[in-house]
Amino acid sequence: MRSRDCKNQHYGDEEMKAKIRFFARFRELLGTDIITDPLAGTTLAALVSNIARNNKEGYDAIFDEHGNFREFVILMQNGKRVETADAGTIMVADGDEIAIFPPVAGG
Amino acid sequence: MLSERERERYKRQMMLFGDEGQERLKNAHIFIAGAGGLGSPISIYLAVAGVGTITIVDMDVVDQSNLNRQILHTDRDIGKKKTVSALAKLREYNADITINAIDTTITGDNLHELIGRADGIVDAMDNYPVRYLLNRVALDKKIPFFHGAISGFYGQATTIIPGITPCFECIFPKAPPKAVFPVVGATPGVIGTVQATEVIKYLTKQGELLAGRLFVWDGVTSKAEEIAVDKNEACPVCGAGTVKTNTTGTKK
Repeated sequence: MRSRDCKNQHYGDEEMKAKIRFFARFRELLGTDIITDPLAGTTLAALVSNIARNNKEGYDAIFDEHGNFREFVILMQNGKRVETADAGTIMVADGDEIAIFPPVAGG
Repeated sequence: MLSERERERYKRQMMLFGDEGQERLKNAHIFIAGAGGLGSPISIYLAVAGVGTITIVDMDVVDQSNLNRQILHTDRDIGKKKTVSALAKLREYNADITINAIDTTITGDNLHELIGRADGIVDAMDNYPVRYLLNRVALDKKIPFFHGAISGFYGQATTIIPGITPCFECIFPKAPPKAVFPVVGATPGVIGTVQATEVIKYLTKQGELLAGRLFVWDGVTSKAEEIAVDKNEACPVCGAGTVKTNTTGTKK
């Protein structure tokens, strides 16, 4: 984490932290409550896909073959719903909590 | 009016909500869509709580592979219509209530009539297309929709109050892919019981509903969490310019 300080100089003294919470099956594959320190200017989509790349099955569960969020995935930023289609243009802010949830269908 | 027999039968829950609450249950009509994994605990708990009229709809036949979770049905019911089996079990649980068990497939054409003047709709389905239909009719009729769904050890539930909370399509605009889902019977046990609790609270005006909150159950880690859910102003079903929202006149 400290080793990144030199990069951060480009953006002043900002040191960002964001927490990623995966739910249900996503959690099994990717873990949860992952604390990351994204660079300023990181989008929600980039943040989630960077973490999800740690596990191929996890990544494939969330993203399609074009790298887009699967359309049923629920993405939340600080408890507010974000359209996954907009996740590529919304920036992560310091202290953000990002939740990614797969709805289930069975009965 | 409650009979002496009813007073005795419901004594322990009337400690919670009194004569008034019990009468509300007795006068209520609840529609349950599905007599499977979720429909089983939902219908059993609503029946024993004394919900006066229960309509339960299913089009299926009991299969041996249902028995790990669909506790309305037993070995001797294999091959019977689920509605026949459900009716028999629910009558055994509570002979004092009215049970309509309807063997049909829910469609956009028959749903309005099937639900009739029910006071609430409980989701015990296994697919999103029918859930979208149930949501729309609930909005039309301005009655609550008690959503639940499960897969494996996971489940989710929320209570939709038309005009007040986000609707089902606000929360789930896109259906997850259809698949044969794994399931251990205790999971619909957890979620169905949450849904039944919501119905009882709604009818007796107790507590705080899962309104605007998605309850998320993770049985793998035994964690229950909630996700706040908001209305989607652009929702094609309940968003501005479609169904008129109504913040008064609902039962809550």
